Parts: sequence; structure tokens; C-alpha cells
Amino acid sequence: MLLGIDVGGTHTDAVLVGTGGLRAWAKVKTNHADLMESIREVLGRIVPEAGPDPISRLNLSTTLSTNAIVEGLTEPVGIFVASGPGVDPAAYATGGHYRVIPGATDHRGRVTAPLDEAAARDHAKACKAAGVSVYACVGKFSPRNPEFEEALRAVVHPQADFVSCGHEFSGQLGFGRRIHTAAFNASVWRTFNRFADAVQRAALRFGLSGHVNILKADGGTMPLSMSRTFPVESILSGPAASVMGIIAVCDIKRDSVILDIGGTTTDIALFADGAPLIEPEGAVISGRPTLVRALKSRSIGIGGDSAITVLDGHVRVGPRRLGPAMAEGGSHPTLTDALNVLGAASLGDMAASHRGLNELAALNGSDGATLAQDAALAAVTSIRAAVIDLTRAVNDRPVYTIYELLEGKRLTPAQVYVMGGPAKAMQELLAEVFPEDVIVPGSYAVANAIGAALSRPTLSAELFADTQQGRMLIPGLDVEEAVPPSYNLDEARADASGYLRQYLEHLRIADPDAMLEIVESQSFNMVEDDALVGRSIRVKCQIRPGVLPGYRKAVHRLC
Amino acid sequence: MLRASSPLGVVFFPAYDWAISPTHPERQERLLYTQDQLREEGLFDIEGIREYKPDVARVSDVDLAHFCFPDVEQVVTSSHLISAGGAMRAARLVMEHEAKRAFALVRPPGHHAMKVVHGTRGFCTINIEAVMVEYLRERYGVRRIAIVDTDCHHGDGTQDIYWHDPDVLFISIHQDGRTIYPGSGFPYELGGPTAIGTTCNIPLLPGTGDQGILHMLDHVVMPLIERFKPEIIINSAGQDNHFSDPITNMAFSAQGYAELTRRLGAHIAVLEGGYSIQGALPYVNLGICLAMAGMDTSYVSEPSYDPERVRQEQRITDYTLSLADQLLGYFMDPPPMPKHGRLEGEWFVREKEIHYDTDGISERQLEKVFMCGECSGTVVIESRADQGRPCLAVQIPLRACPACREKGHEVFEMGQRSGNYRHAMLVDRPGKDVKRVLI
Repeated sequence: MLLGIDVGGTHTDAVLVGTGGLRAWAKVKTNHADLMESIREVLGRIVPEAGPDPISRLNLSTTLSTNAIVEGLTEPVGIFVASGPGVDPAAYATGGHYRVIPGATDHRGRVTAPLDEAAARDHAKACKAAGVSVYACVGKFSPRNPEFEEALRAVVHPQADFVSCGHEFSGQLGFGRRIHTAAFNASVWRTFNRFADAVQRAALRFGLSGHVNILKADGGTMPLSMSRTFPVESILSGPAASVMGIIAVCDIKRDSVILDIGGTTTDIALFADGAPLIEPEGAVISGRPTLVRALKSRSIGIGGDSAITVLDGHVRVGPRRLGPAMAEGGSHPTLTDALNVLGAASLGDMAASHRGLNELAALNGSDGATLAQDAALAAVTSIRAAVIDLTRAVNDRPVYTIYELLEGKRLTPAQVYVMGGPAKAMQELLAEVFPEDVIVPGSYAVANAIGAALSRPTLSAELFADTQQGRMLIPGLDVEEAVPPSYNLDEARADASGYLRQYLEHLRIADPDAMLEIVESQSFNMVEDDALVGRSIRVKCQIRPGVLPGYRKAVHRLC
Repeated sequence: MLRASSPLGVVFFPAYDWAISPTHPERQERLLYTQDQLREEGLFDIEGIREYKPDVARVSDVDLAHFCFPDVEQVVTSSHLISAGGAMRAARLVMEHEAKRAFALVRPPGHHAMKVVHGTRGFCTINIEAVMVEYLRERYGVRRIAIVDTDCHHGDGTQDIYWHDPDVLFISIHQDGRTIYPGSGFPYELGGPTAIGTTCNIPLLPGTGDQGILHMLDHVVMPLIERFKPEIIINSAGQDNHFSDPITNMAFSAQGYAELTRRLGAHIAVLEGGYSIQGALPYVNLGICLAMAGMDTSYVSEPSYDPERVRQEQRITDYTLSLADQLLGYFMDPPPMPKHGRLEGEWFVREKEIHYDTDGISERQLEKVFMCGECSGTVVIESRADQGRPCLAVQIPLRACPACREKGHEVFEMGQRSGNYRHAMLVDRPGKDVKRVLI
């Protein structure tokens, strides 16, 4: 039996899934002031439904880290950056304890200026005096040579409760992103670990003896133990649980669009050839780009609670929320009220919806039914426009070979999957503006929690080898090895996937069917004075997001 | 967070699957380290700087800039059409106001490709800049354009294409042709008789550094541009004048290049040569991008930069100051007729020999321009490559008068009837007509 919990902005959903299918689900209002309370409440309702069957896994998706960052409830971080020449490193300064430490590494990982450890010790002293106890150490091109970050960590380690090193998050390049990622990670470390402690206590109290995993922004999971060191990876900047839910309950093989319509937003994600698209550069958190892997998604301010407004005869839905729907006791008409008036939904107090739409329409020289129709059309038209924009952005993404430019795949969605509370009510309206098939799975209301329950671990790794320097690194997996001049692309590919599997075993993640794939691999000759002196090899591999196949067959019937 | 004060579009296309040969300087990893640097610096996370895919040029776009013999399809590959398309995309970004400035960071380069093309020369097959210029004219009606070629080698191809065009100001700053390929680019090369003074060549001594190049920019290039009043300024941005370039002898730095970029204020930059791919290009390209975006470049520096090592010798400084004064006066008041060539009746005739070093082709050209008093004149070129009958090329310029249009068609038809040519091609710009005949 698998237990999935998705803590959303409005509701917290929980599901129990067995090999026979969906056993039970529960939904409670999310307590924003105390997410743990919502989790305990929903556990209290769902766990008894399991009966004698053991719950082997709890997958939890939570907005704790996101909330902490957005609301500024984080801890000051002592930040050490070794930047070298390039963009002015002051541009990346964040918080009050940021210091540039002289030292430089180049694009091949060669040290071009030594690290000034005396300056690092001075900054460590100043941080300690200021009461700072969590740190981030970041070097430019550290994935090519993590030496400086290790040296900086050694300087602060004696006085630190926790240290984030930039190269550990990703082998991907992006110095500014590396700084933001490491700093965010350190800033939420304590808050997240208190939360993790509480989760473990709750699991014990409810008699859950199986693994506890945290859902990540890329739709995969990581063990709770790993999330204690990498809490930033728990940030959900897209509809990860919803996307995984769609994978679980539907058999997606074609290019597709996923719409998750919530209370205040519609989250849009895309599938190419049956797999969800990942944001190539990383998630943006609180306006700062990071290296956190996330699904490519767009969020627009249209949801069931979005306010209907009329300006100069022009009907708009959202992005403002002025309270709940009138059908649920609110004072301003919303999209939900429009759906009630159109007969597409019958939620709460129908008479209140009619009254609200009629009153607003009367103020603008119209009638309630027409206004409801216009509002619904405005909503679905905006969603359609956002889907077109996102698809175009994906197809316009830069490529770097003649082959890809002339022959590369273009995303052409053939289906639109809709989930979230208003999904069923909006299906026909969406079908009017989308030429693709619009599909609402039977479990549209809790597909997000099913997705959380069935989601599998994901990991990615980037290998970089420079055979002239005789070095191979996989920074995210803490691998650094000497390699012979003959080291080649085939060996690099084998090493990248081999070390990734090894890391899975190290984390005690038992997933023999993990979908490991090599995403990119390139080998470039290095030539000096017309002679081949070595190769620069880059391999990127991943275990991509997916759901447990044994359980998937059972819930698949829901689509 | 960082923000560009001048929105910049970067059309980056490194063609990782194309090379002239495995160890040729123009090969796959030429822009690899540049990409690593730009990514690590987070260039495209800067608000206002965005990365774009190239367009793909069509044969008809190439025809507006070149006479390719036997035809475009046999001379040009998709790598060249994409590279030219990258420059076209940069132009489109600027003209459609998606960016204030644009940088086509693409390969293969183009500035050694001449008006007539039989193959590859100086690593260039088609002139991607010229394809872009003609696209600007054809699609957006831009008339007056200044091209400043800052590559270490004389931009002889671009010069050749615009030799008879009074609406293009071509300025090339380069290492003296007596000391480096292609062995041309002397001050007396001023353009054809109907466009005299719109070609300006500034040869510099080996060892000239930031100080000398920037002095020439301030005292010769900028006054010429000011007088010409172009609608668009293009930087033919070669990066082989860098102190670490393996095949040249100059002493320019990333800081110098960033400063040149800022002062020149070009709307569009297009990458040309530059083969110090690890030690120079990552930093020079970063400097160009930041400068074009209106951002601080003071922290941009090469690891191997040593002010003492690249300091310009006093004799070079003295020579440069003296040369600048002479050149400005000369360019502002050029002699009335070109140094080479002769008047034959109504035509001004010039003979040329062109060697295609990359492809090993030798070409002899007889070029003539009609000495019309009303327009820049129809251009006729007879080109003979290695053996066999020559090819005939006729160009009726964009602002040709009716008499020159008639003259162009007449020469083309007579050429066909004469049986003297193997291939004949006519480009009638005002008539928007291209004719190609195999005789």
C-alpha cells in the first residue's frame, strides 16, 4: 500500500493506492500557518482506511521550503564566493554576509589564481561574530574543479551547523544560479529539518514503518534522509504532483498539455513523446534563477476562485482573488460562480452564484447568463493563449548542431489533460477553444495525490572529462578520477550511468526498473598547433520522472 | 539582479557538427569554451539579454549578395546557410525591435568571401554579413549602412562586394597587409570610381594594442561614421587581433575589445575570425555581449592578461598617432579616381587575380562598371576559374537609373548570344529579378 500526500495552496489531499487500485482518499483545507497540522489531520483520516495492509511508502509533496523563502522566514547565510574574472560578482550578492574571496578557476577547471584563504578566514570570523551558523561556499566553474569549494568548506566547518557547496547540486554551469541554490539551501536547512523531524514523529505515531520520501520539483522523489541535506530540492515551483498524477492514471504516449486548474492558478506543463519536459536551466525561486531541476511549466492567474471583473465592457477573470466563490459564502463573483450559472457545475449555493452574476451584469448593461458565458470564454481563451506561448517557447529553444536545427523534433500537442477541482466543469468549454482532444481523467480531483503516491526517485548527473588534464568528474555524485589519454565517449557514458546507479544503491533506493537514460553526450577534440592533445567530453544522464508500474496498471483504469 | 540597459539578442550557433577538417582552426569546438563561459556567467539569466536560434538563409538571399558559380547549391552547404541565417536573425531582432542590439555569434565566418564565389577562401564561403546587409535592404528598406571590420585580417571579401556601392561605408582595421593574409587592405584601396571614399582601410603594425586600436577608432573611424550618417552600424567582429591568437601578431585584449564595442555603438555584431579559442574567445565574447547590453565590463579579463606583456611599444604609438592624422585627411578628401584600373570608353575596367587558399582555386577577373553620371552604375564581371570558358556576372544596383537597367539587360543578352561564357547570371535589384543561364 502506498500513501501519497499533496499539500496544495488550498487543499491537502491524501490517497491510498494498492495493487488493486485506489483504496481511499481524503481532503482537508490547508492550514498555511502550520502545514504539519494539515498533514496530521489528513493522516488521521486516511491511515485507518488501510486496515491490516502495511503502508510501505509515504510520498509527501510540500510547499514548506517555498513558503519559507517567499515569506522571508529563513535564516541568514554566510556566503563565500570565489569568482575570478567575468561578471561583477557583487551582482549576485544576497543577504548581509556575502563576501567575494579572491581566487579563480577557468572553463577547463584550471586554477588561474590561488584562493585567498586568509580572506576566507576573516569572513568566517566576521560571520561567527554576527551569529551566523549556516553557510554556502561557491566557486566559479566549480563543477570543473571543486577544489576551492572544498577549501572554503574546511575553513567554516568548525563553526557551522551546516555548509552547502555549490558543485554538489549540479554539474551544470551557471555561477549565479549556483550561488542562489546553495544560499537558499542553507537558509531553509534548519526549518526543513525541524519539519522532517516532525514528519518522522507523525509517521511513528500513525504506525507507518515504510520509507518516507519527499517529492521534488522535477516530479521525482528523494528519501527524507537526503532531503535533510538538500532541502532546496523540495521546492515545488511547478505542478509536479499533478503531472505525475496524469502519468499515473493515463497512458500518455504523444505530445500533450497538462492543465491543473486550482483555486487561484492554472498550472500548465508539457509532455514530449510521453515524458514530461524539464526546464533546461532550472527553476526560478523568488525571482532568483537556481539549478534546482523542475518541470517546465507556466502558471497563470486563473482558477475557480478568480474574481470576475468588467472594465469598459471587457470581461476578465483573475488574476486577483477577492475571496471564495459567492456559492461558498464570498462577496464577489468568481469563475466557479460563472460555471454554476452556465450549468456546468453545481457547487454550493447556486442561488448565490446567480444573484452575484446578475448583479454584476446589471451594473454593466448585461444579463447574468451572458456575463457567465463571457467570463468562461475569457478564462479558457487565456489558458489557450498561455499554452500556445509555452509551446512556442519550447520549439524556439536554441539548438547547437546543424542536425538539430534542420531535423530536430517540434513539439506538437495532440491532447490536453485537465485536472484539479474545476476540471470536469470546464472540459466542454476548453474543448471549444482547443483543437486537440480534451481529456479529464476520472480521478481528476485527487490525481495530484495519486501522482505523489506513485512517483519514483529521480536523479541526474553531469560528467565532465578533460583527457589532456587526465581528469573525469561527476560533481553531483562526488566522483573525481584520473583517466588515461585514451578515455573516450563510450567509456564516459558507461561511467556516468554506472555511477548514477551506484549512487541509487548508496541511498538505499530499491528501484530496479529505474528509467536511466543518457540525455546528452558529446566529445570534442582539443587541438593545439594542429595536433590532437586530448578530448573534452560531456555526458548528462538522468533517471527520469515516472511512476511505479505495478500500481500504475491499477489506477490506469481511472482514465 | 542584473539588468541590461540596452536589450541584447544573441544568436548563438556553434555548429558543433561541422568543421573544415578535424584539426583545422575552423572546427567543432571553436565556440565550445565561449559557450561554457557565457553559461557559467549566467549571461542569459540577465534581464534583457536573450538567446535566439538562427534562421536559415535561402538561395535567393545568397543571390542578392553573391554570384555563385556554378550555382549556390553546389558551392554552399547548410552550415553556411545557417550561419548567414544567424546574421539575418540578428538583423530581424533589431529591425523588429525585439532587441536594441544583436550579436550573431555564429560560424562559419564570411568576410573573405568575394562578390564572385567559386569555393571557400580564408575559411569563408559566403559573406554572411553581406547576406544580412542585402536582407536589411530587401526586407526593411534600409539604405545607408556602415560596416566596421575589426577582424585582424583585412575584410577583403566585404570590400569587394561593396566596392561599387556608395551607400555602404566599409571600414577595415587590420594588421598591415604586408605582414599577414590576405595581403591587401591598403589606404589607397578606396572603392570604385562611383563609390570612391566609401571604402577605408586602416592597416596597423604588428604589436598594436588596445591603445592604438582605440585611438584609430576615436580619431578616424568615428569621424568617418559621423560624416556618412548610416542608418545601421555593423561590427564585423573578428577576435583574432587578441594578444594570444595563434595566427596573428596583434596585442588587443578583452578589455580593449569591450571598450571598442561600447564606443562604436554598433547595432549588430557578427563574429568573424578568432582562433585563440580557450584563452581569448570566452572573455572577448563575454566583453562584447556585456558592452552591447550596456553593462559593466570592468571585471572581464583573460587569465593570461599581463599589462606589461601587452603594453604597446612607443614606436608603435608614435606611428599610430601619425598615421591616424594622415588617414583622416586622406579619407575625408580622397583622390577622384581609384589607383588601379583604367577608363575604356564608358566603362571603368579593373583586372584582378583571386586565390582561394582553402579550396586551392585560382581566379582571374575582368570587372567593369558603367560610368553613369546618375547612379553608381551597372557592374559586369567576367570570371575565369582555372580552366575553360569564363562566367559572366551582371549586377544592376538597387538605385540604378533606367539607362543602367537597360544597359545591364543588354550586356546579359549579348553575353548569352556571344557563346563566350559557360555560366551567366544577372541580378536586377530594382526589378527584383535574378536570372541564371547555363550556356
